[in-house]
Amino acid sequence: MHEVFIAQSILDIAITECRKAEYTRINSISLRIGKVSGVKVQSLLFAFDIIKTDTIAQGATLICEEVPIVGYCSECHNNFEVASELILACPECGGTRFSITGERELDIAEIDVD
Amino acid sequence: MKVKVVRRILEANEKIAEENRKLFKEKGIFTINLMSGPGAGKTSLLVRTIEALKDKVSIGVIEGDITGTDDAERINALDIPVVQINTEGACHLDADMIREALGEIPLNKISLLFIENVGNLVCPAEFNVGEDMKAMVLSISEGDDKPLKYPLMFQESGALIINKTDLLPYTDVDVGKIKRNALSLNSGLKIFEVSCRTGAGLQAWTDYLTTLLAT
Repeated sequence: MHEVFIAQSILDIAITECRKAEYTRINSISLRIGKVSGVKVQSLLFAFDIIKTDTIAQGATLICEEVPIVGYCSECHNNFEVASELILACPECGGTRFSITGERELDIAEIDVD
Repeated sequence: MKVKVVRRILEANEKIAEENRKLFKEKGIFTINLMSGPGAGKTSLLVRTIEALKDKVSIGVIEGDITGTDDAERINALDIPVVQINTEGACHLDADMIREALGEIPLNKISLLFIENVGNLVCPAEFNVGEDMKAMVLSISEGDDKPLKYPLMFQESGALIINKTDLLPYTDVDVGKIKRNALSLNSGLKIFEVSCRTGAGLQAWTDYLTTLLAT
C-alpha cells in the first residue's frame, strides 16, 4: 500500500483546511482506517513523521482508529465484524456465502489545531 | 481545539475518477480496467478479444507500462485506437494519468474501452480510474496460491480470466483451488478458463463481454 502517498494526502488536506480557517498549528490528525483498506498503520506513522517536517504539522501526531471489517452472511443471516484482514468464511457459521458490507474507510475525521 | 474535518484521504484520485466515469457514461463507453501480474497475458487477451469482436464492437485501448511501447504496438497492429502511457516508475495507473490520455482516444467512435494496467498484483487494485469494472488475469504458471496471497485484486474484480490453461499438463496447479479461494474472497466473481495461445475458452469470455455491452 502507498503509505507515503497517503501520508502526503493527509498532510495536504489538513494544511489546506488550516489555511482556509487561518489556523497556524496542527497538534493532531484523527483518522479512520478500515482494515479492508490494507493500510499499514505503522508504515503510515513512519511516513508521516518524515514528511511533516517544516510544516505547520511538524509537531502533530496521527491518531488512527482502526475500523474492523463488517460483513453479512447470507447463510446464517447475521452481520459480523472481524479484526483480521482476510476472511474466507463467516465467523459465526463458517459459511462461504457472505459479502463485505463495510467500506474501505480511509478518512480524516477531525484535526486538533491552534 | 478540535475541528471536525470529514474528508476521504484518497479524494483527489476519486474526484478525477468520477469525472472520467461521467465522461465515459456520456459517450456511451463501457470501460474495463484490466489488471494482472507481469506476463500473465493481459495484452494477449486483448489481442484475442479484439480479433473476435472488432467487427461488431468499436474498441479502444489505453496501455499502461512503466516504460516502452511494445504493448501499444501489438494493439496498433490490429488497427484499433490505442495510446501508450509510460508511468516512468509509478507502479499503477491513476485517474489523472487516464484523464490525460483521453484526449488521444476518439471517444465518440468507441463503445468499449480497455485500460491495460501496469503488470502488478498489488497496487492497481487500490486505485479507481473511472472504469465500469475491474477484471484480472491470472496465469497457470503463477501458481494456485495467488488468491490468498493477493486478495484485494480478486476482491475488486468483476471477472477473473485464468490464462495459459495449455500449460496445465506441465504444472501441479490445482485450478479448483484457485476458483474456490477466489470465490471465497468474492462470491460474485465471473471466472473464465482460457488459453490465449490456443484459443481455448475464449468464446465464453467474448460472449460475456457482448452481454455486458448489451445491458
